[in-house]
Amino acid sequence: MNRNYLLLTALLIILSGGLLFLPEKSDINRENPEDLMWDIVQPTRYLSTDKVAKMIIEKDPLLLLIDVREDYEFEEFTLPGAVNVPFDSILTDYADEILSIEDVNTVLISNDDIRADQAWVIAKRLGYKNIYVMKGGLNCWITTIIQPVEPAETSPITEFELYKFRLGASAYFTGAEIPEESGEKKKLNVTRRKKETVVEGGC
Amino acid sequence: MGPLIPLGQIATGWDFVIALLIGIAFGFILESTGFSSSRNIAGVFYGYNFVVLRVFFTAVIVAMIGLQYFDYMGWIDLNLIYILPTYVNSMIIGSVLMGLGFVLGGFCPGTSYTAIAIGKLDAIVFTAGLFLGIFMFSELFPLLENLYYGESLGNVTISEILGVSNGLITFLFVIVALIAFYVTWLIEKRVRNRITEYKF
Repeated sequence: MNRNYLLLTALLIILSGGLLFLPEKSDINRENPEDLMWDIVQPTRYLSTDKVAKMIIEKDPLLLLIDVREDYEFEEFTLPGAVNVPFDSILTDYADEILSIEDVNTVLISNDDIRADQAWVIAKRLGYKNIYVMKGGLNCWITTIIQPVEPAETSPITEFELYKFRLGASAYFTGAEIPEESGEKKKLNVTRRKKETVVEGGC
Repeated sequence: MGPLIPLGQIATGWDFVIALLIGIAFGFILESTGFSSSRNIAGVFYGYNFVVLRVFFTAVIVAMIGLQYFDYMGWIDLNLIYILPTYVNSMIIGSVLMGLGFVLGGFCPGTSYTAIAIGKLDAIVFTAGLFLGIFMFSELFPLLENLYYGESLGNVTISEILGVSNGLITFLFVIVALIAFYVTWLIEKRVRNRITEYKF
């Protein structure tokens, strides 16, 4: 038999034998579907608009806002400090650079929370950590933070406190004047009569 | 990185161009390995020439090994590769018919075209028969439909059915192929010693 055939035979056996020792493809980074299903039903993955507003006002250094809407929507308006990662580009290197910043709380925002939710599932499956969705999205942001509705008079005190916070936040974000509270005391100008100095008689 | 077209590395419109280039390369290799000769093809059945078996088996094992190393290196994602569905009935009947056609006509569909390219008359007759067969099958398809789609297993692979790794399957397949090469070499040697009228 030709010596080349023996060499080729040995080569094929070595190459195919090597396949037996190849490790399973590593998908370690990716979250497995069972864990993902568990995470999806957790309410803790949502942050309320009030919580996000508070974090922005307090200049929370761990807050990373990601706007997953299209770039033209992003340019129209967004939350202060938000970064634009359009939903379509979530699998690109650009998105990877932003999402893989460690030790920050990433909050995804969109007009409602559907698009942000979809982005959340993808990002979570890709193995990124500490990712949240702003509940209700920017629509909810407008109705709660920018134009808060005054609670009914019979509401519990916590509602009023929340309303007060929202008014303050609204002023913070829009630069509007806070309407003065009606019960405030007015400073009165009290004019005091000068004491008349009586000319005392000399001698 | 790959597969190139499903992942959009190459636009979908290019698939026909690529198919054309691959087709030319395939035809060239068929012709240069001597597949356009009916003697080589029919030789498998009479035991004096196993070049068809060797060429195809070699192509298969090289592709098997190569794809899995590519998958490991991340150059191609085997999960995205399209797997043809397995229809047990039509596979068995089709293989028997194909084998019969092979030994009767001395060509397989691909080699008949390469044989036409080098101007063989019998290949032209064979190809005419091929198109007649395709036409008849298409006309009779409503009658054969149940048989054609019967016993469907879906897009399965051997490793999925047996529950073992692709690597092990490939290794065993390579061993089987190498044994087949050796055994057919022995058969060829014995049969050829008895043949006197045919020069190789």
